[in-house]
Amino acid sequence: MRMPRAIFAHPSGRIGGFIVGLYLLLAVLGLLGLTPHDPLMQYRIDRLHAPDSTYWMGTDLFGRDVASRLMMGIGQSFTVAFFSVAFAALAGTVLGLAAAWFGRRWDGIVMRVMDVLLAFPAILLALLIVAVAGPGTWTSIVAIAIVYTPIFTRVVRGPALSLKAREFVDAARTFGSSSSYILTRHLLLNLVAPLTVQITLALAWALLTEAGLSFLGLGTQPPAASLGLMLSDSRNLMETAPWLMIFPGLAIMISILGFNLLGDALRDIFDPRMRRAIA
Amino acid sequence: MVQHLTRKLLSGMALPGIALAVMLGTAAVPIQANAATLHMAWSQDATGLDPHKQTAFSSLRLLELIYEPLVRVDANLRIVPAIADSWQFSADGKELTFKLNPKAKFQNGAAVTSADVKASFERILDEKTGAAARANFLSIASIDTPDPATVVFHLSQPDVPILTAMSDVNAAIVPAGEIAAGSVGTKAIGSGPFKLDKWDPNAKEVLSANKDWAGGATGVDGIEISVLPDETAILAAMRTKQIDFALLNDPLVATLVPKDASLQLNRVPVLAYHVLQLNPSRKPMTELKVRQAISCAIDRQDVLDTASLGEGKVTGPLTIPSLATDPSQLFCYKRDVEKAKQLMSEAGYADGFSATVIGATGEPPTAAAEAQVIQSQLAEIGVKLDIKMMELNVYVDAWLKGDFDMAIALNGGRADPYTMYNRYWTKAGNLQKVANYIDDTLDSQMQQGRAETDPAKRKAIFAEFEKHLAEVSPWIWLYTSYSYTAQQKNIAGFVPTPTGTLFSLSKVTIQQ
Amino acid sequence: MTYLLRRLAVFPLVLIGVSIVVFVAIRMVPGDAITAMLGTEAGLLTPAQREALAAYFGIDQPWFVQYGRWLLGLLHGNLGISSTYGKPVLDVIIERFPLTLELALLSMIIALAVGVPAGVFAATHNEKLSDLGVRVAAMIGQSTPNFVLALLIIYTLSAGFGVLPAMGEFSPLWQDPLRNLSQLILPAITLGFAFAASVTRVSRSAMLDVLSDDYVRTARSKGVSARGVIWRHALPNALIPVVTLSGIEFGYLLGGAVIVEQIYALPGLGRLVLDAILQRDYALVQGCVLFIAFNFMIVNLLVDLAYVALDPRIRLGEQ
Repeated sequence: MRMPRAIFAHPSGRIGGFIVGLYLLLAVLGLLGLTPHDPLMQYRIDRLHAPDSTYWMGTDLFGRDVASRLMMGIGQSFTVAFFSVAFAALAGTVLGLAAAWFGRRWDGIVMRVMDVLLAFPAILLALLIVAVAGPGTWTSIVAIAIVYTPIFTRVVRGPALSLKAREFVDAARTFGSSSSYILTRHLLLNLVAPLTVQITLALAWALLTEAGLSFLGLGTQPPAASLGLMLSDSRNLMETAPWLMIFPGLAIMISILGFNLLGDALRDIFDPRMRRAIA
Repeated sequence: MVQHLTRKLLSGMALPGIALAVMLGTAAVPIQANAATLHMAWSQDATGLDPHKQTAFSSLRLLELIYEPLVRVDANLRIVPAIADSWQFSADGKELTFKLNPKAKFQNGAAVTSADVKASFERILDEKTGAAARANFLSIASIDTPDPATVVFHLSQPDVPILTAMSDVNAAIVPAGEIAAGSVGTKAIGSGPFKLDKWDPNAKEVLSANKDWAGGATGVDGIEISVLPDETAILAAMRTKQIDFALLNDPLVATLVPKDASLQLNRVPVLAYHVLQLNPSRKPMTELKVRQAISCAIDRQDVLDTASLGEGKVTGPLTIPSLATDPSQLFCYKRDVEKAKQLMSEAGYADGFSATVIGATGEPPTAAAEAQVIQSQLAEIGVKLDIKMMELNVYVDAWLKGDFDMAIALNGGRADPYTMYNRYWTKAGNLQKVANYIDDTLDSQMQQGRAETDPAKRKAIFAEFEKHLAEVSPWIWLYTSYSYTAQQKNIAGFVPTPTGTLFSLSKVTIQQ
Repeated sequence: MTYLLRRLAVFPLVLIGVSIVVFVAIRMVPGDAITAMLGTEAGLLTPAQREALAAYFGIDQPWFVQYGRWLLGLLHGNLGISSTYGKPVLDVIIERFPLTLELALLSMIIALAVGVPAGVFAATHNEKLSDLGVRVAAMIGQSTPNFVLALLIIYTLSAGFGVLPAMGEFSPLWQDPLRNLSQLILPAITLGFAFAASVTRVSRSAMLDVLSDDYVRTARSKGVSARGVIWRHALPNALIPVVTLSGIEFGYLLGGAVIVEQIYALPGLGRLVLDAILQRDYALVQGCVLFIAFNFMIVNLLVDLAYVALDPRIRLGEQ
């Protein structure tokens, strides 16, 4: 494929790609349990142990290894981010295409519903959904997916409308192609670029939203770890054990940085006119 | 237009930096223009002003400064006068007579009379009021007011604990006129040391001294209470001398207070207890041996050390110091994993089982930590716990329905064991559907304790009650923690008490 | 004009949608005003007591009856009575809104004051080390969660320097401007941090775009100084995307900043809604969300209009 090479050739793509790749590796290791220590094991005598050669990032209130929990947390946060963005992108694409393709009444209904969702403050909408369904990994995923669906719907509907008006779709239609063929073949292909960029950026937001939800105690449930939950738990230990806040804080910043860099690179690659502009 | 705007923006760029420094500089000066005002902070605000309806911790703490009950309990949990000067049980224990303090006055200037007392208790007993404390006063058959300074309660049965229940601000005396006007709860007119001048919910309260208070002059002219939702921020505000006095909940924050030379931490063991409630109506907690195994598998000291940094004391069911027995004498208070495993296999659960434990986020702040320590301890006998932390109201809803396998809770204590536990451990208890366990022994011990007037005999009855309760293990009592208040060192005269009341703020002074 | 009318006509529709979602969702959350007030003590109530309290809080009817009642009130400009504040919902919101508005404005001012010059600087030093520095800083700014920043600021100032703006009792701008600003400056920096980073990035890229346009080259060839080209010719055009971005961000900020308000103890809209949800103050939750949604839509409409006003090439109509 040309894509990886293009990303690699782009300076921020290189850095962003490296960061995201590293996190993916950590996430997979974390999810498989291949961590330096058992992330759930409570080493009672080593409670709130400062970082050293045994515990690279120290231990928490329970004597659990922070480095291992960080890997587990990255796994958890990424799982939530990936699934929620995947669902939002899927729902947004289907709704956006439906709105653009069927037009008129459908368009009106879909876009008004999206307006309703957009008019809610994001964190409040997520908060309400979690409050209704009860906290947990899947609730967080669904809540964040619903919050970001309108954005994807808009991203898809706009280009889909203008593509629909263009000749090649008309041409395909006169040649007797079925609607579903036209939809998938022509429209979707042309939507790959804006969608990919949007997905990368949405992953960064999803990580932040998950952290925010966990910070309010409505996200990941203990004893599992997520970056937001680790930060939230460290809040009142900031002075006693600063490492509890520093490492998850840095981890969350760097991961978002990675996705932002990668998103910028992708935008440049897909849209050469903007190349020099945003790099 | 746009160009103009930009130029303005650019020229203004250097300014914010300087302005910031100036503003922070001015803000660093402590605000003590009126030194006789106590600046206080807490993280959770009161939820309302009707003393008969409010049960939230902060509501009670606020209302205790404004309203007065007939009697109060002091730091040693002894009953002392408030509105009533003296009181007397009749020989058969079915008549309770109060003599009111003639100086007692409401903040609207009217004297507190026996008619107000009668109207207040009738309001509590009226189902339309929705007073939770009503359950404690059901033995009141009628109320007589032979003269304005005398009230006689006629009881349907001997009821010693009713006096303790009357010391609660939930049994505060409000003006009969306000009851008739239906304005209790919208206007706060009590007979206590402070008047409420302003209440901005979830933001602040302004209290001023009640010059006519029968208890004498207050030490400060007023109290301003700020709601700072984040306890780390409360500590920060105390370090910069903006706050004189604060209520803290989280031991992780409270233990940082003594590190600051100008701050003092007051801690007092409280009657409330941290507990793991089992639900004996759900399998396999229906089995006595399973419940006992859980009790034996839990290291209470370890839960306390980890979740609360050791800030507290392991406790049995009774938390009242004068009645509590030494916890080490109770069933399985020394961890015994072997015994636990044996009990599990005798009950037919040698391979363990799975269950869900619920807890409220931040209520108490240690809930999530307690759940996690217990989870890892119970894993050793094959009990696999799934933790569900919920928003407080969602938790309360599930808790009231008894819809849980196990629940982490911090339950309130009372100065009398009967008032504290009759809701759970009597056959007619209102919260039987939460406790889901009762036997004849517990019920009869509670009834005997209620009627017994001799303190020594009462103590013996409740000691047996405690021993039995720990043995049948419907719940696993863990520990009692401290109630924390933090203050600047120039604040004098605060007396912390096991009920958590801030009533002694009425005599607190600010030294220069 | 018809475009404006069409946009405005959608408003009531969306608002009704928002209100139904909130109305149903908040009632589906377990617990109610009674458990919020009494906690576990609510278990001591008799059924008759519960009914009396439910009637008192207006939650004794099925939800659609309650909704009908609420909608009827709304038509008369009445958003209901807040159960925690004991006041009309609109009064409570209007008390809290100035703070949120001021905070949003301050954050935007900080973001623009830092972001636009930084973006222009980076664009005019394209591909140099200083450009890289600005870009890296902006990237990091965009990647910092605001609650991490808030906690770090409070901790550093109080523990490290022993200063902290007055917490707690909040002074409105018109009562004590200096104290008010000292209380809002740190929250505004916290919120303006990531905002400034976005502004920097957008203004940099827009500036680069414009600088490569024909008319700028023409101006340059006509002998206009480099400085003149940048400030007089290029910047106004480069500002268009900045206006859009700031407008949208401002619209979000008007909805209140839940976590930042919580940490800095500011009585703004974000905390108002959060507390209302936690205390099951249904009328207040509905009123707040409706108010926030309305503001959001108005701000977005204004942004679109401003967009057109700034760039004559764009025609309103189909997006």
